[in-house]
Amino acid sequence: MELTGAQIIVEQLCAQGVTTVFGYPGGQILPLYDELYKNADRITHVLSAHEQGATHAADGYARVTGKPGVVIATSGPGATNLVTGIANAYLDSVPLVAITGNVSIPLLGKDSFQEVDIVGITQPVVKHNFVVREIDKLAFTISEAFRIASSGRRGPVLVDIPKSIQVESCEYADVQAVSGKDATIDADTAGEAASPAASPAASPATSDVASPAASPATSAAASPATTPAAATNAASIPGLEQAIEAISQCERPFIYAGGGILASGAEAELLALSDKLSAPVGFSMMGLTSLPDNYMLNLGMCGMHGKYASSVAQDECDLMIAIGVRFSDRATGEVKAFKHNRTIIHIDIDLAEIGKNVAATINICGDAKKVLTMLLDALPEKHNVSWLERIEELKQVEGSPQNGGFTPKNIIEAVRRRHSADTVVATDVGQHQMWTMQYYKMGNPRTLLTSGGLGTMGYGLGAAIGGCIANDRKHTVLFTSDGSFGMNLNELATAVSQELPILIIILNNGVLGLVRQWQNMFYEKRYSQTTLNRKTDFPALAKAFGAAGYRATDMQQLEDILDGLPAGMPAVVDCHIDMDEVVLPMIPPGGTVKDIIY
Amino acid sequence: MEKFAVELLVSNHYGVLNRITGLYARRGYNIDSLHVNETENPEYSRMLIVSKGDEYIQTQIVRQLSKLYDVKDVALMARVNP
Repeated sequence: MELTGAQIIVEQLCAQGVTTVFGYPGGQILPLYDELYKNADRITHVLSAHEQGATHAADGYARVTGKPGVVIATSGPGATNLVTGIANAYLDSVPLVAITGNVSIPLLGKDSFQEVDIVGITQPVVKHNFVVREIDKLAFTISEAFRIASSGRRGPVLVDIPKSIQVESCEYADVQAVSGKDATIDADTAGEAASPAASPAASPATSDVASPAASPATSAAASPATTPAAATNAASIPGLEQAIEAISQCERPFIYAGGGILASGAEAELLALSDKLSAPVGFSMMGLTSLPDNYMLNLGMCGMHGKYASSVAQDECDLMIAIGVRFSDRATGEVKAFKHNRTIIHIDIDLAEIGKNVAATINICGDAKKVLTMLLDALPEKHNVSWLERIEELKQVEGSPQNGGFTPKNIIEAVRRRHSADTVVATDVGQHQMWTMQYYKMGNPRTLLTSGGLGTMGYGLGAAIGGCIANDRKHTVLFTSDGSFGMNLNELATAVSQELPILIIILNNGVLGLVRQWQNMFYEKRYSQTTLNRKTDFPALAKAFGAAGYRATDMQQLEDILDGLPAGMPAVVDCHIDMDEVVLPMIPPGGTVKDIIY
Repeated sequence: MEKFAVELLVSNHYGVLNRITGLYARRGYNIDSLHVNETENPEYSRMLIVSKGDEYIQTQIVRQLSKLYDVKDVALMARVNP
């Protein structure tokens, strides 16, 4: 069947199971938008107010569904507006496919109107990106983009498609991407990464840097072929036997779980492991929601602004099983102290993360679900009463401050009481984000949308829109602040036109609170440019966009507002809180648990 | 710091050299020498890159290179230093 490039893109999106895309039209992507118009019954296009909002929406959609989010933009400024959203997805390993139009091939490289080298610009923040210069490669390229985004360690892929390619036509047959290099470290072949049996041409990750002779490049001029060596027993996975022995012998096990648990769908295995070993579990921010909030050994987030019990237990353990984490500086503090006197077992799907930030004692490169399943089979049950008593003691020290008044904690808890475990909750970045991590009782897996690695202020509203749509347009919550909300509030227009029931809680303190907190602690209270001193009337602004708008200054007011929210539209609740509220506990940057302020 | 050489088999395609050198540049590692040749199969090129770095840097470079889509094989060559 002879199809145009634009038609091929639509056919490939449908073949990938895509039903919703986010984006913004423009000159060089017109042929694709014309096809989207004709195929509106197959693909729903959500029009954003700004391309950045569309990328964050695709990111939020992907976090909720676990499948690649799709964002479409035109060339030039449309494409550059995607960059922050793509970088955000890259640092949080979110599967995303970005499609950009570009000027027609004869105009490329001539500084044509709205021409930028978006492939060059995004290169450091994508898993891979493509320019399609030949129409007969288009179908395969789109299919390949989806495969790369959703295999191995997930991440964003950009496909730049010149307008002339969208218009040209060629014979189309549904093409599926071949299994590529990510397969070597994917679920079915965990452990192959260091197996000498693996074909060197198929799995570059096999290069054992300690013994350079292991994988000579010299044999590999032939076309790469995949020879998945199925790993079926513990002996075939490097590190697994050592891990089993170390865990069997330890006294105070602690599990440190990250986004890899959710990416791999290993929530049940994590719970089973914790239960079998009586091991408390702390999380990186990306790992939150992978265990039920009411599970006794769920200690919540650890790290710079983590929960007290979680960070201290992590410090006092004699063995840490770190799964699907990359030991970010925000999570570890000073690395030497983080490592001292304990065995660390690091399980991650990405070989490049092994030994990058923390040199663990035992390393296992593989898919979390697969590795945990094998560990569970081999490990004995453990139950160290004194360790569990110590955990209880830490929880008591942590306590639960019951201050009355219009505090972030009370506001967040009042919102949580009115929502269920399947409510998607998004945040922006700053103090309100940390308070949400600490006080919001986390719901089901994949219900938390927050910018971890990049720390993108302005992420929240776009993400909430994408998350709401992914979750059947059910009630969705966004916790934001006057600073973060000010960055991308234009997406209120999108939420209104899509009639999305998003409750937007602005924790409004009139300052850039987290930076101010650092200035207070480390810069002798010189509040350089963190006092906003704005006169923005958020309720009036919300109404101007066509949303509902409210202001709350005490708990009773807030409770009344929350009980009377209108249906089928976004609502903004501007909550005025004290500018000197701080986020505690805090482990100062580069510090250790001994320095914890709580 | 120790000199080390990495041998790569890569797609013979525009932009590939940029992706590989970008990975060195982002981390501030200078490339001391660089050889690129098309292989007997014109789909691929072979590269030899000499740079300086300790064992940590060498390991990171090799593992990060391995993740690039256009890199089909990568190997750390035997020590270059006398």
